[in-house]
This record gives sequence, structure tokens and C-alpha cells, in this order.
Amino acid sequence: MGSEGTPVRCIGHLDCDAFFASVELLRRPELRGKAVIVAHDGPRSVVTTATYEARKFGVGSAMPLATAKNRCPQAIIVPPDLDAYREASAGVMGIVRDEVEIVEQVSVDEAYMDLSAMAMPKSAMRRLQARILRETELHVSLGIGPNKLVAKLASDAEKPRGFCVLSRKDAWLRWADASPGILGGIGPKTTDDLARRGVATIRALSKVDEATLSDWYGPRTGPWLWRRCRFDDDAPVEPVREPVSESRETTFSVDLSDAEEQEAELRRLSIKLFEALEKQGRRGRTVGIKVRLRDFTTVTRSRTFPVPVVDEEVLADAAIGMLREYAPALPVRLLGVRMASLELEDGPGVQLVLPLSTG
Amino acid sequence: MKLHTAAQDLLGHLQSLSRIASGRLANPTLSGVQIAATGDGIELRATDLQVGLRIKLEGDVERPGTVVLPARLLLDITRQAPGPRVTLELRTEEQDVEVTAGSAVFHLRTLRGEDFPPLPEPSGAAGVDVSAAAFVATTAKVVRSAAKDDTRPLLACVLVRAEGEVLTMVATDSYRLSEKKTTLESPLEGSFEANVPARVMQELERLVPASGAESLTVARGENQVLFTVGEHVLSSRLVDGTFPQYRSLIPETFDHELRVSTSELREVVSRVSLLAQKAAALSLAFSEGELVVSAQTQDVGEAREALPVPFHGEAFAIGFNPEYLRDGLDTIDGDEVLLRLTSPIRPGLLQTTDDQGFLYLIMPIRLNS
Repeated sequence: MGSEGTPVRCIGHLDCDAFFASVELLRRPELRGKAVIVAHDGPRSVVTTATYEARKFGVGSAMPLATAKNRCPQAIIVPPDLDAYREASAGVMGIVRDEVEIVEQVSVDEAYMDLSAMAMPKSAMRRLQARILRETELHVSLGIGPNKLVAKLASDAEKPRGFCVLSRKDAWLRWADASPGILGGIGPKTTDDLARRGVATIRALSKVDEATLSDWYGPRTGPWLWRRCRFDDDAPVEPVREPVSESRETTFSVDLSDAEEQEAELRRLSIKLFEALEKQGRRGRTVGIKVRLRDFTTVTRSRTFPVPVVDEEVLADAAIGMLREYAPALPVRLLGVRMASLELEDGPGVQLVLPLSTG
Repeated sequence: MKLHTAAQDLLGHLQSLSRIASGRLANPTLSGVQIAATGDGIELRATDLQVGLRIKLEGDVERPGTVVLPARLLLDITRQAPGPRVTLELRTEEQDVEVTAGSAVFHLRTLRGEDFPPLPEPSGAAGVDVSAAAFVATTAKVVRSAAKDDTRPLLACVLVRAEGEVLTMVATDSYRLSEKKTTLESPLEGSFEANVPARVMQELERLVPASGAESLTVARGENQVLFTVGEHVLSSRLVDGTFPQYRSLIPETFDHELRVSTSELREVVSRVSLLAQKAAALSLAFSEGELVVSAQTQDVGEAREALPVPFHGEAFAIGFNPEYLRDGLDTIDGDEVLLRLTSPIRPGLLQTTDDQGFLYLIMPIRLNS
């Protein structure tokens, strides 16, 4: 990076406010100001999004719908309409890409932006926030920081309609006494484990030396945690995120114990997955399955073919074959099928095929 | 049942039989080898319902009888037998077979004999005799091009056609295709055509030299094909359907034709392939007078090697699966291979420079650029 050392990075993070619910409110203005929960209505459903009116009652994303209904009985349940959300997402992300050159979209409603080259990143972000509202009627929260970690925390800090600029030091002052779980990438398992070791806060974590962390969590995760709790993160904003795998899974309302039913379900998922990949013009060589039993035992199996799977029946048969081999000993709660080693159907690295017809 | 035999003979046969016997089927008896000792001699049998194998075993029958024993286990025991002779004796009381080899004694529980299906009998009629050596040599030229998995059963077959004095075999997994026509020394009496599973053909490749038979008899039934090699009988269910029409897929003309030393190209390809891992393609870049073979694998490294070739015209590069290219070069019999190519996305053809009735068509992999 020359004699001036590492250039100062400036990263933005954009997050749509209550995205699914907001899209629903645009279509159904009569719901405005009411507690709305977007979820499928079934015994095992979880909340995908809730309006801030519902959040006041303690309703949150990924909460079982039954719990949410208990906390907020007056909430109106709206089934998700993924096509509508995708369309709205394309609108928002289109504007983001129009305003910022380096964008990494991480989900339908979330994106990182590398603002390092901008002269006035803050005003650019203000302009972006206003333009998105004007053109899509959707509110977004924006965070700006020296890296992705701080930017994401910042966008979340003042939601909804947030706009927050933080340095690493600001982040430290705000969150030193929070749980390490807020530092993206540290899951509940690690958080619990840290707590058991008497490390319940970011401040406490920062006092554990790197060698000890490496002892606890291995040579990769240890040093990573050490930097993480200092709000240090050098992950780049990666403009294209090549999806390397794609999957479909279902949790059943009632556990499936019949092998035939399980297979039929897996076949249905396989065909759905294949169709989705076909639309994207991609295909994969690795087929994987995921099975969760009644007691939450979760197993995955996979098989890699020498060439991409080009037939939905082959995909389904491979998935079912692995399910048969595993032969679930308990009723099945969840089934999933996954394809990995994805590649474009007709791009570099594709093995061309003789157009044989077999009767 | 009680019989004595040479451990070496038994071992050789059990190796073939245990490739056919299958432990993956619902009927556990099919993981076994059936041993039938009669006044006429001893016969060993195995089947997975698709393929059946019956082999005559030299030996002395002391007491006739039939048993089914686990094929894999009997093979392992025979392999480690301490003496040259093995004795098998059914102990009716104990429902097991005593296997004695030297001072070692094994008692093996038998599998349910009544669950072992009858195997097809070679019916004397409708058989065609073919030179065993020619049959096996022809098989060796094409069998590697057959599909390794059963997702499209016809592609896991070798098309075998015999008529007049020509024996033709074809196999393709849709990424490459091999065709070999062998002219027989004497015309056949009769003809046949069948889609034979590649693994049956591979079993024949092993049976023929082991049996020392000079000819084999092919008999095609309604849905079976039977190969009789000496006193061994290999039967296979025929695969339904018609073998793909492949002739029209072989281009008649190519833009580039060049002769290259087979051994040199084979060595270069083999070396550079070391760096074509994880399904990476091997790149063959042709330019005036030169061929550069190269490969790269992400996070592993690159390799390149040049060799002089009589190439003229506009430079181009074509990618191939290294394994497919090696298979093709390995089946070329001759100092020089004739490489026929048109463009990076058109099939390439490998042939011998003299007419041996052999061709190897190979589909490219798209390269970056």
C-alpha cells in the first residue's frame, strides 16, 4: 500500500427497516400503524418480520409464531410473498448500485458498500437514504464505520430510519459491556461457552490474550476473536458474491415417520431446487441432504458427481439414495436438499456433451 | 456335501464371483456364492439378479450337495489358506460348513439356500462362436468410455454387434465415444447385436485369459445374453432400449489434422495432468509448429509443457478432461496418433494413423477466455 501505510477504509452498511412488513404495508395501507407479523400460519412457523408496532410487544424475527401471538394477540398475521419482496429488493439495490460503485449485497434487504474512495461518504449516504425513500417509499437504516463489523453495528444502532457514523473507539464505548454475541459471526454456542469461562462481555473478552483464545477455539478462531472484540475487521466488500451452493428445506408441521412420505417430500424439494437452478442457468456436481430427527439430531450427507447433474430425476434419486442409506431411526422433523460446486451451464469449465438420445 | 479342491483354483474363481455377489440387495443370500457338488463335478455360482456367473471348479466330490456361503468371507479365508488344498464339508446338524485348510479350521454358517435363484442354462441353440482373443481385445478398446454410473443404463453398456466377419463395439458416456471394428479371421455363422453392461464386458476380459479358452459363445435370448467361455457361463439381463444413434455425431471433416508421437503426447499429458485437479481442464494450445499443454488448479498451482507438432494455421486452444484424454491416448496402438480438431467447442477425434477401425471422439471443456 505504498509509503503511506494502509489507506483509511470507510464502509457503509444498509439495512431495510422491517423489510417484509414494510413491503406489505405499501400494498395494504390499511395495516399502517398496526402490529403486523409476516409469517406462514402453521404450528411450527416462525416470524420472518414484524412491524415496529409489534416489536414493542417483544415480537422479534425468528421467534416461533405461537410465542409471538401470545405476546401480541392483536397482531395481524400476513403470509409472506417472496416474489413481492424480491421485486422491492431489486428496486432498492438498483438505487444503491447506482449511487455506489462497490456494493456487496448480502441478502434481500442488506448490503455493504465500500465508500473509501468517496470524498464525502456521509452526505452520499444521506442522499442515498433520501433517494430510496423517495423512489421506493421504503425506509432504510445506514451505518458507516471503518470496517464491515462496525458499519453493521452502526446501521443497527439507531433503527428504524437510523443514520449512524461510528469509529472503532465509538463502538468500544457503546458496546464494551455488551455480549460478544453482537459481534457478527459469534454464535450462541460460542457466546454460551465464553460465558461459562466467565467471559460475558466484549470488555472481558478483550482481556483474554490471543494464545489463550487459540487454546480454547483453535488457531483460526482464536486470533479472529481477539481482533473481533477490538472491533477490528479487515474483510473486504466483495462486489459479487458467487453463490457456491443452493438449497431447499422444509420443517414439517407433523414429523414424518413413513419412509415413502419422506422420500416423496425429498423428491419434491429436489425438483424445486433443480428448477430454481435451471432458471439461474446453473448446475452443480455435489448433491447433499439434511435430515433433522424428532430429537433434533441433524445429519448431512453428500455425494459428488464427476460432472454436473443435468436431470432433476438424477438429483432426486441421489438425494433419496442417501436418505435410504441413512435410514432415519426416528420420525423426521426437517428435510433439506442442497446442490454445491455450482457452475454456469455454459461458461468456462463446462464439459460439453454429445447430443445423444437414448430411448 | 463334502469336497476337496486346490486353494489356488478356488481363490481365482472366488475373486470373479465376489465381484458379482452383492451385499447391497434385500435378499442376503445374494451376497453368497452357491457351491453345487454333483456327480458331474463342482460348480460355483453368484448372481445379483442382473448378472449371473457359473464357474466349473476342479476338485473331488466326496459327498454331493449344495450350499450357499458368504462370498467375501470365503474369499478372504481362501486367500489366507495355509495349505495348497481346501476341504469344504457341510455339517447338517450344526447348519454350517467346515472349511479346512492345512491345520486351520473354520465353521461358516450357511446362507439360506432356497433364496438363491436359479441361473440361466446355456441352451445349445442360437449361439454364435467368436474368437475369444478378438472379443477381449475389442472390448479393451472401448469399455472405458462407458458411463460409470447407472443413471442412464444404456450408456453404462457396450453395444456389441457381430455380423459377417466384423465385430463392432461402441461405448459412450456422452463425454467421449469409442468405436472399434475388428475384422475376424473367419466369417461368423450367424449374427447378433446386444447392449451388454460394461461390467459384464469387463468380467469377460478377466475370464477369458483365466480360462484359456480360444473362443467364446454368445447366445442372445429374449431378455438375456449368455457368454460361454470354456466351462464358465456369464449371463446378463439385457438393457432395454436402443443404443444411441452415434454415427451422425462423428464429424466427417476437421479443420486440423496432425500426427503426433503417441508416447510423447501421452507423457506430456500425464505430467501436466498432475496440476489439473478438482475437475480442472487440460488446455491444449496449438500455434505454428507448437503445442503447449497446460493446467492450473486453484490454490494448488500450474504446469505447462511444450512439444513441437506440425500445426499450421490460426492458433487456438482447446480444453479436455485430462482423464478422458489419457484414456483415449492409452487406447491408441501405434507410434503416432492422428489428432483431428476443428475448434475449441467442437469434438476432437483421436485415431491411429493406419486404419485399425478404431476411433475415439472426445468432447471439449470450455476454457476461460
